Amino acid sequence: MTRHHPDSLSLMEYSAGNLSEPHALCIKLHLDKCSHCRSRVDTLDSLGAVMMEQQPKVTVSEGMFDNILSKIDSEPADEPAVPVIPRVSALQKLLGEDLNSLPWKRQLGDVSVLDITDRFPGQKEQVVLQKLAAGGKAPAHTHRGEETTIVLQGAFADQKGVFNQWDFVVLTDEDEHKPVAVGCEDCITLSVLSAPVKLTGTFTRMLNPFIR
Amino acid sequence: MTTLDQKPASSEGRKDPWSQMLQKVGKHQDREAYHALFEHFGPQIKYYAMANGLASHAEELVQEVFVSIWRRSCLYDWRKAAASTWIFTIARNQRIDMLRKMQRTSAEMPVETEDLWQIPGENENEPVTSLHRLMSERRIRESLSHLPEEQITVIAKVYMENKSHQMVADELDIPLGTVKSRVRLALNKLKVILQDQNV
Repeated sequence: MTRHHPDSLSLMEYSAGNLSEPHALCIKLHLDKCSHCRSRVDTLDSLGAVMMEQQPKVTVSEGMFDNILSKIDSEPADEPAVPVIPRVSALQKLLGEDLNSLPWKRQLGDVSVLDITDRFPGQKEQVVLQKLAAGGKAPAHTHRGEETTIVLQGAFADQKGVFNQWDFVVLTDEDEHKPVAVGCEDCITLSVLSAPVKLTGTFTRMLNPFIR
Repeated sequence: MTTLDQKPASSEGRKDPWSQMLQKVGKHQDREAYHALFEHFGPQIKYYAMANGLASHAEELVQEVFVSIWRRSCLYDWRKAAASTWIFTIARNQRIDMLRKMQRTSAEMPVETEDLWQIPGENENEPVTSLHRLMSERRIRESLSHLPEEQITVIAKVYMENKSHQMVADELDIPLGTVKSRVRLALNKLKVILQDQNV
């Protein structure tokens, strides 16, 4: 179980570019706010560079460099050579500005959910947003398979501690918890369920990490 | 121009030759420096593409990476990342991007590759440089030479063949736990695990 920050093994899979898009999104959202983990990833990226340098080299075709030059020369001069650095985060692109006004589906008591798996076509995991109303409690539950969660808004607490915005949590079937939304905001999380699952009505509800 | 016939063994805190060249490309569109980078990194990137299943697109990937290097070089800041680290992340992103585009249409990709995988040093909020960043490649190169072969093999499969820890375990026919412990041991020695406070 990983709490608050991703573990080094996950960061390595991220740096190597081996994670699925939903998992990469969880890590990226955390990295955007955590300089400590960003610096760990910088080091891992350097490890990648050194690994690449130590592998065999394969001769490239003759004339390839000239092709590259003609490609860069053919770009229209008025087009900015530099790609504009996106100001809009991945999260905003996916979910818009206001998380609270999404078409939430109310479930048991204080819990609402929104399945956003369809925003990640071709990916195997289920991706779910959950909202626990401010001050609300989720029933005690355990987890099936492995579930990666990042807190997008507010905070929640369980027996193991308090999870604030941009904290990263990995829970497995060994973790039973009973989360409570703390603070005056609704707590919204994004979870990636690694095991491929069948989406049937009752089962979907059972997969909800707050109530399971 | 800097001599190119040996690997840049940078002294700590100073620019290595590749980083100097990349900076020349960024500042002055220096084509001689660009060519030198191509000669050095092109064959590495081609191997990288071939190792992870893009054999029939290997040269296309090299080309995409170099066009991208040219376009973005003005964003490159040697104080934030060594050239080889920066180029590795561009190669990684172009590989991911190529695979994504093969698998689906752009309409199916609301999030771009670079929204998910960032190039180091292009985050404008990042304070300028930390010394460990400049030292890290050299330190990693030195530490790697002391690692047991079995640890290097696992790391190489993760980085070069883009296999998950689970896939490496399946391929080497060893338990997943063994793969993970080899990676952890290696990362410990490489001091990548700085403070894993999450246990």
